[in-house]
Amino acid sequence: MSASNPPAATASRKTDWMGDAMQRRIARRYAAERRFKFFGLAAVAISSLFLAFLLVVMVGNGAKGFITTEATLTVDLPAATGSISPDQLTGPRLSATMASIDVRRIFDQAVQAQYGKDGARYFATTAWTALRDQLIDNPNLVMGKTRFWLPTSSDIDRAAKDRSTPEAEADYAVLTQKGDVRQSFNMQFLTGSDGTDPARVGIWGALKGSLITMVVTLFLAFPVGVLAAVYLEEYAPKNRFTDLIEVSINNLAAVPSIIFGLLGLAVFLQFLSMPRSAALVGGLTLALMTMPVIVIAARNAIKAVPPSIREAAMGVGASPVQVVFHHVLPLAIPGIMTGTIIGMARALGETAPLLMIGMRAFTTTPPDGLTDPATVLPVQIFLWSDEVNRGFVEKTSAAIIVLLVFLLSMNAIAVYLRNRFETRW
Amino acid sequence: MTTTAIFFLIAGLGLITWVFARARAGRFIQSGVASVHSLPSYHGWYAAMWAVVPAVLFLLVWSTVAPALGSYQVLESPLAAQLPTDAFERAAILSEARALSRNPDLKVFNDAAVQLAPLYSAADSRYAMIGALAAFLLCFAGGAFAFTRIRPDFRARTQVERTVMLGLLLASLIAILATLGIVASLIFETVRFFNLVSPFEFLFGLQWNPSDKIVDGQATGFGAVPLFWGTVFIGAIIAMLVAIPLGLMSAVYLTQYASANVRKWMKPILEILAGVPTVVYGYFAALTVAPALRSFAVSIGITDASSESALAAGLVMGVMIIPFVSSMADDSIAAVPGSMRDGSLAMGATKSETIKQVLIPAALPGVVGGVLLAVSRAIGETMIVVMAAGLAANLTANPFASVTTVTTQIVQLLTGDTDFNSPMTLAAFALGLTLFVVTLLLNIVALQIVKKYREAYD
Repeated sequence: MSASNPPAATASRKTDWMGDAMQRRIARRYAAERRFKFFGLAAVAISSLFLAFLLVVMVGNGAKGFITTEATLTVDLPAATGSISPDQLTGPRLSATMASIDVRRIFDQAVQAQYGKDGARYFATTAWTALRDQLIDNPNLVMGKTRFWLPTSSDIDRAAKDRSTPEAEADYAVLTQKGDVRQSFNMQFLTGSDGTDPARVGIWGALKGSLITMVVTLFLAFPVGVLAAVYLEEYAPKNRFTDLIEVSINNLAAVPSIIFGLLGLAVFLQFLSMPRSAALVGGLTLALMTMPVIVIAARNAIKAVPPSIREAAMGVGASPVQVVFHHVLPLAIPGIMTGTIIGMARALGETAPLLMIGMRAFTTTPPDGLTDPATVLPVQIFLWSDEVNRGFVEKTSAAIIVLLVFLLSMNAIAVYLRNRFETRW
Repeated sequence: MTTTAIFFLIAGLGLITWVFARARAGRFIQSGVASVHSLPSYHGWYAAMWAVVPAVLFLLVWSTVAPALGSYQVLESPLAAQLPTDAFERAAILSEARALSRNPDLKVFNDAAVQLAPLYSAADSRYAMIGALAAFLLCFAGGAFAFTRIRPDFRARTQVERTVMLGLLLASLIAILATLGIVASLIFETVRFFNLVSPFEFLFGLQWNPSDKIVDGQATGFGAVPLFWGTVFIGAIIAMLVAIPLGLMSAVYLTQYASANVRKWMKPILEILAGVPTVVYGYFAALTVAPALRSFAVSIGITDASSESALAAGLVMGVMIIPFVSSMADDSIAAVPGSMRDGSLAMGATKSETIKQVLIPAALPGVVGGVLLAVSRAIGETMIVVMAAGLAANLTANPFASVTTVTTQIVQLLTGDTDFNSPMTLAAFALGLTLFVVTLLLNIVALQIVKKYREAYD
């Protein structure tokens, strides 16, 4: 090129690389370079700082949800109950005995005796149920005078953890002075169910609902997803019909989750009249949502198994079905598992479709079967976030921590499986 | 006997059949028959299949037929002859009686239902008994039939494999069924909705004020434009203003500048953002971001700022979308041939000039496709807007005001008792259909763009 150009032209346009103008230009370009790099770094930093901020806020709020504030209450049970024996509080006679002794009345009297007329303000409105549960757990307590630790009202609870109303702060100071108050780990939060009093609510009911729903989802979505992937990847002839299946699966993977809720409402509840709020319907709906994720992951895993494996199996006389089920699938299992766990993690965090099919039941007992009214952890978080009582803020955040722990550990398992078992051929 | 118990019993019988058939086939090999076609376990599977599959299929069919048979028997009884002749009343009493027969603690409104309930229990248990007996008979008959067919030259493997292939095909059909189910249920309810509200009014009306009232066969207050605007405002404008710069720049930094070590750690951390459940984002937006934005707005003089502002929902949704945009941009930049990048650097361009003037323009179709996919995800997102955006259907471009979205209104309309004759319930399905069609179109367009662009460099 340069040879064909007239030499004079090049000489007249000779660039002065060391000249002022050029140096300034280069400096400007380098500054732009540094600026651009800084913007990139800032973008990464802002994104990860947002994540850190979110986690800090949730842990900061939620850590208090695992702590409960309790005050003492001394109850003279033999006097209050008319000396019942411990074995009246066991087995089939329990409910009759409970009805006759009226724990709530015993609680009210003990509070008045110990803390005076307005003593009830120290305790949560459902503190008497804690007394009842402790009695059922340990019937021998009815033999003597016992000092119980019972949850305080949410005002005093917040005075102990943070700031509260002046009256509650004063009450808390009095209690602390007498040594009548303590903070301990909130077992009730892990073992209880939903309720109206933040001092006594727990997540076990919602967690159990989530587990049952996930089991239904897994049992439906995993086999169907893997089998569909095997068919599409290994056997399906190339024709219109197979294309239709592929298009449906790719579309399903991109459909907003709330649409699956509408499907569940119209088809499962309205058309097939299945029970509302049931884990069975929730599992079915989420299975339809998870199946395409599993199909796509399983297809990729099956695709990654080299053809030489298939040819070798075929060469020693395996039938097409044996080739896939004896050789290809076992090698693809780690990839399939990774995809399945990620799909299940997404299903576990899903809220919107379950709201549509009514899995927002207010149930104070954990569900016992597939058709019992149930709620799931994310929906429980949503319901608690709507509560006006300030005490629910920390419970909501604590439930979020539990949900995040489950999700992050599922994702960690998926990453571990991928790194540990996935072979690169 | 419960249905679950019957299923387990049949599964157990299937297992027993498997063991016996396999043992019987195994004896051929021991007795030294020269040409055995299938392995013993295939004979086992064949027999177990015959024992289990017909029985289970029968039970599934029976469980849908039996209630109808039960009702028929009840209607034949002399007690039922006294029921009112009005079909609607009659159906109400019958359904109450059936519910009562399943759950004796139920409160009922019709005394007739109380009398009919025992009849229902009797009929139901009778048909359940018949069904269980027939299922067991089928199970035994199938198992016995298969058992007698076991011979050395019987092609059990071929039979089993044929069934396996059928199972595979059926599994793939479920995807089509689900798609059809979605489309059919949405369209069916939407057509019913359009009998009450004209499509024109729904798509172009400016007043969103839904109610159950029907005047002259027409319902009013279902103009969805404010909802569409709110959805676009939050999902496609505010969220994308956050997600596109942050996502694109993160992808550029992590692929072009960061060291391998930083990349190894930062990529999974950014991906956690996509794994956080949306209900957590929603709670965070409502609890922390929205109040902060409101006090910020008040401090700069916007006194009518809403505590459920479009900005709060949009910002948080944008953050949620960052990893999505970032990984799409990552893929498209990686697909640009290395020679283009090397050529630009060799000409003396700095790294940022190469990225801005060569890589990003070359990757643009892919990036645009990724952004369209991100938009389709953002407008379908529900929990963040339900918890952080408001319910007021405002047509405003003020980010500090409250707007509502399609998904928020779907949740709102379907909360509580859903009556499938109310225009409000049907409106939710019409909104759902609109959302479905729009996300589908966005996805098709985006995938077309991405596909064309990939082909350009292949």
